[in-house]
Amino acid sequence: MGNKEILHLYWRAGFGLQPKQLQELAIKNKQEIIDDLFEKSKPIIPLEKDLSYLKNYPKSILKDNREKRIELARKNADETKKLNIIWLKRLAKTDNILRERMTLFWANHFVCRDMATKFILKYNNVLRTHALGNFRDFLKAITREASMIKYLNLNLNKKDNPNENFARELLELFTLGEGNYTEDDIKECSRAFTGYNHNFEGEFILRRFQHDYGHKSFFGEEGNFNGDDVIDIILKQKQCARHICKKIYRYFINEKINESYLEELVSVFYKNYEIEELMRYIFSTDWFYGKENIGVKIKSPVELIIGIQRLIPVYFTKDEELLRLQRLLDQYLLDPPNVAGWKGGKDWITSNSLVLRIKLPSMMLEEESYSYKTKGNFRNFRIVPVKNKYQQKLSVYVDWKVYKKRMKKLTLSELKSALILCEINDGTKRYISKFGRRPSKKNLVNLMSLPEYQMC
Amino acid sequence: MERRKFIKNSALATSLALVPNFLKAFEGYIPDTFNNKKLVIIHLKGGNDGLNTIVPVTNDIYYNLRPKIALKKNQTIKITNEIGLHKSLMPLKRFYDQGELSIINNVGYPNPSRSHFTSTDIWNTASDHKNILNSGWIGRYLDNYGHKPYNAIHIDEHLSLALRGTKKNGIATKNAKQLFKSLQESDFNIILSHYDKNHLSEHNLGYLYQTMIDCKSSARYLYENSLSSKLSDNYPKKSTLSNQLRVVGQLINSRIDTTVFYTSLSGFDTHASQVKKQENLLKKYSEAVQSFVYDLKKNNTYKDTLILTFSEFGRRVKQNFSDGTDHGTANQVFLIGNNLKKQGFYNKIPDLKNLDDNGDLIYEIDFRQIYATILDKWLNVNDELILNRSFSQLDFI
Repeated sequence: MGNKEILHLYWRAGFGLQPKQLQELAIKNKQEIIDDLFEKSKPIIPLEKDLSYLKNYPKSILKDNREKRIELARKNADETKKLNIIWLKRLAKTDNILRERMTLFWANHFVCRDMATKFILKYNNVLRTHALGNFRDFLKAITREASMIKYLNLNLNKKDNPNENFARELLELFTLGEGNYTEDDIKECSRAFTGYNHNFEGEFILRRFQHDYGHKSFFGEEGNFNGDDVIDIILKQKQCARHICKKIYRYFINEKINESYLEELVSVFYKNYEIEELMRYIFSTDWFYGKENIGVKIKSPVELIIGIQRLIPVYFTKDEELLRLQRLLDQYLLDPPNVAGWKGGKDWITSNSLVLRIKLPSMMLEEESYSYKTKGNFRNFRIVPVKNKYQQKLSVYVDWKVYKKRMKKLTLSELKSALILCEINDGTKRYISKFGRRPSKKNLVNLMSLPEYQMC
Repeated sequence: MERRKFIKNSALATSLALVPNFLKAFEGYIPDTFNNKKLVIIHLKGGNDGLNTIVPVTNDIYYNLRPKIALKKNQTIKITNEIGLHKSLMPLKRFYDQGELSIINNVGYPNPSRSHFTSTDIWNTASDHKNILNSGWIGRYLDNYGHKPYNAIHIDEHLSLALRGTKKNGIATKNAKQLFKSLQESDFNIILSHYDKNHLSEHNLGYLYQTMIDCKSSARYLYENSLSSKLSDNYPKKSTLSNQLRVVGQLINSRIDTTVFYTSLSGFDTHASQVKKQENLLKKYSEAVQSFVYDLKKNNTYKDTLILTFSEFGRRVKQNFSDGTDHGTANQVFLIGNNLKKQGFYNKIPDLKNLDDNGDLIYEIDFRQIYATILDKWLNVNDELILNRSFSQLDFI
């Protein structure tokens, strides 16, 4: 594989590479590179977060004490902010690249939002555990998670009083895609999932008296189905494999789908719904490395921020700033806009976000000022312009010594190829040619400020 | 629209054929706008429950299917013996009394989608359910008649699909001053001075450059021109819609060259404990609109403004057992302004005896008939060109 192809793989399966890492990988063959990627992602390392504050809020106290419940909700909002930071820091450092990348993908597939820090932490780790596992097990695990049960009103879905919210999203977003089921399917599906609930600790329980044990008819099959049965029937539909493969294609390969390549993926995935097998297949094809797939995606805010952090030793001295950046760039982890998640692609780009994206490298590396600040907590975050002329700066620390070591003996053109994957137009090429030959700090920032750097 | 102007604009579009499409988008400046009319769109996101908004207070089916969430006659504002308005909508009652409100009932489309996302896309793109377009209806208005991105503004950080055309896009901003200031601080101008437009693709990277160009051309204009009118203090605080309409009010009162403004209020997806939630939301909605209309009247701009309120769908007639309602189909649309030809109720309220297999309302008026009417009769442009086909028009304006 050429350098460009390796970089492409690492931008899609991870968050880019440092020039030196690229050189190290370049001596390996394709199979070794791919095996290495999967080998490194074998371990499942859960996110960890201190939850000892919950000791002060036992069930017995919360039960009849409204004030305590409100206090806990506030506390949770703060703790979930901390969890957001823990996750981001994990992404910036991990060697478990592909697993973390897949976790991020699944978090935008099985979209969920929960202010109960303990529950959403557990949920996040379920995503991580199954990220490269079996989709069937994954789906069944998700339906048993307290956060999901709350988020899509599954706890309100009771025998004789079904609530369709979960069933509809299960079919529309999680498995089949709109138009591939009937309204009756939704009703029968809701019945199968009645009685799903969780206890105070966040463990799954089936409330037997609320579960509908009766006969159901779903996708032409008849029986006294429960939730797991319904999932098994859904997975029999090839459309389910197609829906998931389409989403994987758009995220990891290209927003524009080549139908015949897609069908290849569907037949691989439909066999047994093994996610790792599917991803291995994708990264092993020749067409994944086709010119039409390289450098054509607009980076998500997280990809942009993490990509910079993995390239340059830059540290945020205030956690708040990482939260602020996510808010300003419109991707705040653990706070998706709705159950369909972030749309991605062009939707990331607005006048405001693009201005900030272009400016971000100089803010992070040259201490440029910027004229926004944020107010409020997780629940009601607001962005306000700074009124006085003493504009805010990001509190970051860049270890330029380490940077210099990393870039030693590198030319500007080598740095450029490590930073920019897409075609550069002639006018911009001429502009870059005036930069000189050294990968100096100024040249680094100039390169990263190009719209081309927004692509991966 | 006048034939002469139509030809003039088509000719202009073809003369720029040698430049990549997205770049020529706003380069041809058409000096005269056709008229001074403004359209303000309010999207009630999540699917507002229309049956508890315009309440059929003597309908037994309504009370039987909604034992716990139906609104009693004395809880509503009386419109007629049979119809009550949700009590949070007192300001709308005033518009109704003054002939400034037109309520179109049973608006929807064939083969309705009960997905928020799909149905919102259908409304925003003016598509059939079977074939959802990639461009928005306001975006296509810009494609054909726009000359600057700020001709259509979404008061938000994100640009709605409604304002994305095939060649041109509207602009999304919550705060023109902030946009302008931040632009002054960035490398935007240096980068734009170097790129070679003939070599840009029309895909994602091209989109980034296009957005930069649009942004540059709009930020200064909006910043400088919106200063001629002050933000009014007369709006309710702590309401997102109110904040958005406050900015729209400032921009309209500044007489800027923007035809369409897009705003929204979220939270209408009331699957559980609906009554209180909807009460709060409708209150926010009606109070924000009231302040907005007052702001425009004071500045003599109301006469040129039409306010369109829609929701992506209504809700199921039968309540669920979480004291909420699930996703439904047809719903009402509100039009507010003082140029309405048919005031009050445009057509009859829903017939609850005649529901679809799912227990949902059956639509009577296609939402695109409303769009076509607004495009042709209010904005004075060719509705067929924008909607890709002809829809029979209504006569509310």
